[in-house]
Amino acid sequence: MRMLLADQGQSWKEEVVTKESWLQGPLKASCLYGQLPKFQDGDLTLYQSNAILRHLGRTFGLYGKDEREAALVDMVNDGVEDIRRHCSQLIYRSYEEGKAKYFQELPGHLKPFETLLIQNQEGQAFLVGDQISFADYNLLDLLLNHQVLAPGCLDSHPLLLAYVARLSARPKLKAYLASPEHVNRPVHGAQKI
Amino acid sequence: MPPYTIVYFPVRGRCEAMRMLLADQGQSWKEEVVTKESWLQGPLKASCLYGQLPKFQDGDLTLYQSNAILRHLGRSLGLYGKDHREAALLDVVNDGVEDLRCKYVMLIYTNYEAGKEEYLRALPEYLKPFETLLSQNEGGQAFIVGNQISFTDYNLLDLLLIHQVLDPSCLDSLPLLSAYVMRLSARPKLKAFLASPEHVNRPINGNGKQ
Repeated sequence: MRMLLADQGQSWKEEVVTKESWLQGPLKASCLYGQLPKFQDGDLTLYQSNAILRHLGRTFGLYGKDEREAALVDMVNDGVEDIRRHCSQLIYRSYEEGKAKYFQELPGHLKPFETLLIQNQEGQAFLVGDQISFADYNLLDLLLNHQVLAPGCLDSHPLLLAYVARLSARPKLKAYLASPEHVNRPVHGAQKI
Repeated sequence: MPPYTIVYFPVRGRCEAMRMLLADQGQSWKEEVVTKESWLQGPLKASCLYGQLPKFQDGDLTLYQSNAILRHLGRSLGLYGKDHREAALLDVVNDGVEDLRCKYVMLIYTNYEAGKEEYLRALPEYLKPFETLLSQNEGGQAFIVGNQISFTDYNLLDLLLIHQVLDPSCLDSLPLLSAYVMRLSARPKLKAFLASPEHVNRPINGNGKQ
């Protein structure tokens, strides 16, 4: 969502919650599901990262050009979320044991996105249609994280590599990705990477 | 000929919410049942985007991912809130339903015998957010968000119904959710569907556990 906002020329406020204040303070009990992120858009408070992405998608016209594309964007985003779930499980629960298996299975998990790109202007556009969507920012983030986890893991996926390079070169996004706020922020809380 | 086709195993699983939605909305649909054998041996799995079911057809639009299908039906049948704000809130709730569904699926398929007791102990805490949401919306007399039914209501209803099978008493300490289940289940078309042999005879999960 940070990449989405930056790329869309939006500014936002960060309220950083330390582990200590989370465990000791009243914030957790006030969160609908007892989890972060919490997001504020004026007087609208949202939880659930994908609900936030969808809200921003709806607000900024990043949800496909029509209902058909919107459905495809949802389908893609849910696939990204599935990988994110597997990846989180690995990072937070079974890194040492699960790492080898995860990377063995990774090409299979990434293949659908390669397929989607091939089917859409041979990978020269976005995941769905001709305009960027919230699902693109979500996938880009996932792929960037994987490149940190395991540099070279995208090498057998040329379309995905090109996609990452092309999106990361978008001027505002490029500036954000080079910014200290992004560079100095750890990928994960468990600090495995 | 209905434009909708659901391609899935002969279970409720991740499709019963969309079935309830379609039935309640007076829509008809075709079921293409996939047996375990044909799934493991046939070409269908390789042709599915993520190698998984359900697969859904709306005319010439093919979709995967049960929540994407629910959102599509929500969008096309006017079951996505009255404005962008309600749409966002519905997404917040649906994602919470999905999180609990994932826990349920994990229990059923990987840890039923050993994990059931602890799951049931934690369950009230998992369900509490939905009780809270109801209490904040017309004292629980309406829907999970706003004044009209949404795709999220069907998803939540399914989640609650399968949990009542897991533990019939699980909503006893959650009066608004109890009333919500009864009220939605009494909607005429939905009531007919829930009483139908096709629903009643369809196992909830693929391994026979519930």
